[in-house]
Amino acid sequence: MKKSIFYALLLAITLVAPFVFPDFRTQLATLWLMIVVAMTWDMTGGQMGYNSLGNIFFYGTGMYVAALISIGLVHDVGFYNNAARSELMTFTDAQYFTGAIVGIIGAGLFCAITAVVIGYLTFGLRGPYFAIGTLGVAIAAGELVANWDWVGGGQGIALPVYPGNLDVGKLFFYFLFAGTGVALFIFLKWLYTTRFGAAINAIRDDEEKAEAMGIHTLRYKLTTWAMAAFFVGVVGGISAFQLIHFEPLETAYQTINLGIFMVVCVLLGGKGTLWGPIIGAILFHVIKEVTWNYLLGWQWVALGALIVITVVYFQDGVMGWLMHKKPEWFGIRVERKEAPQ
Amino acid sequence: MKKTLSLLGCVAGASLLLSQAALAQDCDTITLGSAISLTGKYATNGVHAKNGYEFAIQKIKDNGGVKVGDKCYNFEVIYYDDESKGDRGATLAERLIDQDKVQYMLGPYSSGMTKAIAPVTEKYQIPMVEAEGASRSLFNKGYKYLFAVLSTSEQYLASAVTLAAEKAQEAGKDTSSVKVAVAVENDPFSLDIRAGVLDDAAKYNMEIVIDEQLPRDLSDMSAILTKVKLLKPDLLIVSGHSKGAATAVRQIGEQKISTPMIAITHCEAADVTGNFGAAANDFLCSTQWAETLTYEDPIFGTAANYEKEFKAAYPEYAEKKVPYQTAQASAAVYVYKDSFERAGTLDKEAVRDAIAATDLQTFYGGIKFSEAGNNIAKPMVLRQIQNGEYNVVAPSAFASHPLNYPRTPQ
Repeated sequence: MKKSIFYALLLAITLVAPFVFPDFRTQLATLWLMIVVAMTWDMTGGQMGYNSLGNIFFYGTGMYVAALISIGLVHDVGFYNNAARSELMTFTDAQYFTGAIVGIIGAGLFCAITAVVIGYLTFGLRGPYFAIGTLGVAIAAGELVANWDWVGGGQGIALPVYPGNLDVGKLFFYFLFAGTGVALFIFLKWLYTTRFGAAINAIRDDEEKAEAMGIHTLRYKLTTWAMAAFFVGVVGGISAFQLIHFEPLETAYQTINLGIFMVVCVLLGGKGTLWGPIIGAILFHVIKEVTWNYLLGWQWVALGALIVITVVYFQDGVMGWLMHKKPEWFGIRVERKEAPQ
Repeated sequence: MKKTLSLLGCVAGASLLLSQAALAQDCDTITLGSAISLTGKYATNGVHAKNGYEFAIQKIKDNGGVKVGDKCYNFEVIYYDDESKGDRGATLAERLIDQDKVQYMLGPYSSGMTKAIAPVTEKYQIPMVEAEGASRSLFNKGYKYLFAVLSTSEQYLASAVTLAAEKAQEAGKDTSSVKVAVAVENDPFSLDIRAGVLDDAAKYNMEIVIDEQLPRDLSDMSAILTKVKLLKPDLLIVSGHSKGAATAVRQIGEQKISTPMIAITHCEAADVTGNFGAAANDFLCSTQWAETLTYEDPIFGTAANYEKEFKAAYPEYAEKKVPYQTAQASAAVYVYKDSFERAGTLDKEAVRDAIAATDLQTFYGGIKFSEAGNNIAKPMVLRQIQNGEYNVVAPSAFASHPLNYPRTPQ
């Protein structure tokens, strides 16, 4: 009962936040983006023990797939992306929205399929090798796209501006991000209580033993990564329409920004927990916005210090620290007398 | 207090100047916003542009401010650092508009950053006068609130191709015998330069022997230069903003590349003569503006005067050329002043229409916007570094010196 009130309250905050802080709609939307990428990173990194540094690949690919689908439904893609064209190419409102919705869903599906393919090749790697391997995939993808003229090369793609009322547009993107985030949360909350959740935890704890117990580990790993990739692809697609213009190296396949931020969020909040990535993303996003505003010139130093402090002193993140201090909050019963040391 | 000041001024015999200063203090403020690269790969030029904005704002203030109706205003700019990253720039533009309530924007540095920010200003219907985004791809999107004071980038080095063709003809050779090598950064600006060069080279049937991209961090192009040594092109084109220019001049010198004609962008912004001395000699540099050109206006005076006063205000430029990135940034602020005065109101739409109707002679050259928002009233010029001096060599209408050809490798 108490719990359902808590969730209802959170949902209410989600729904009213953009109306209470109308000037911060874009930042709130970005916060949801961070929450989604952090939660999806934790699916493999926290729950399954596979630390990927390449999840940004799905973000960038999601952007491109969504954009290309929406353009391709109406225009010749190569011609649209030709920087030297002088013809104006427009979209009607109906074309814009159909393109956006089909594009975003298509982006999710495409990323899920690519995750299976890439996972098949990289899940043989363990530990740091998996991290570097996936990072390599993301970097290579960025460079390939940057040299592919049909998709605009280094010029990137400029999508049409949101048609119609601007405020409605901002709400549109906020609710797309928030909706994806809420859906993901509900999905993961359920998933982690199922046998599937237990199986991927088993892979994290001891993959050989899990295998010996009859768990088809590769199948579980691929499924988990594909599900994560689906959601990252979807938010990538939404970002493409929200940002309007994006280019491959700094925006889409931004390995050193969002690609690392999502890992930092999870570490900050606590790996392998449902709430950790969310708390981490909120903390990180707030700290980032504040330092970028008030410590201009020192923002990266502040961010570096935050990462160092987290890694050295709070390895388990906020959730880990809370679990240690207040185990009863998590339904862990501690018989204090029986722990003399 | 102000009266006392004026009185004192009279006593001191400088009444005119001081009362002007007092007047300027009575003016209200029009806030402009700009996300600009203060860190990251475009930081050098971001700072050049910011200095240009600030210099113009001060100059306009000293000249009595912006007169809108019977009130006067001074400009003030809120800056954020976009870190040379597009998505960051777009976010900051939203913040300027949403949270800082900025109604008029000045552009960022580079075509790529402008491409990221222009959709945002367009979405909010906020006018943006930009001075540093030259790629043609900015002007085929139908944006109504984007205005650029500079010439588009395909024109930057096209006249170098023409020069190479002329030299071939003088030597009695067919232009199709000219071999061209192109090495550019993979960004909207440089790709557009490349497109312009390839178009012009195709007109003369020239052969493109190298068509490569500079590496992402722009700090090493030795692999491309090794190819240049082997394939011996007659014309080498390099474009990669300031970092690319510095790398090109340094490594072309180090690897003793003997190509007879080399044309690059951003010579002044990278201060290649100050940093690399004789190694920069005989390089062709495209420029939007040169202090030797005969443009002038009532606020900044002549182009030469602009350079002199700017150097006085920013002593760190004393030993180098004032880059055109600075001059065009000042010109953008000037366009705002002119448009506000013609609009006679602070109404955003009226100001937007006034900007669109701009037809202005400035120290930076003529400014008149096409329907698409790019400036069509100003040519590009090509300068050659001759014994450490920048001399205009093309187009012939502006040329003050003959071309040194072939260049003497140092």
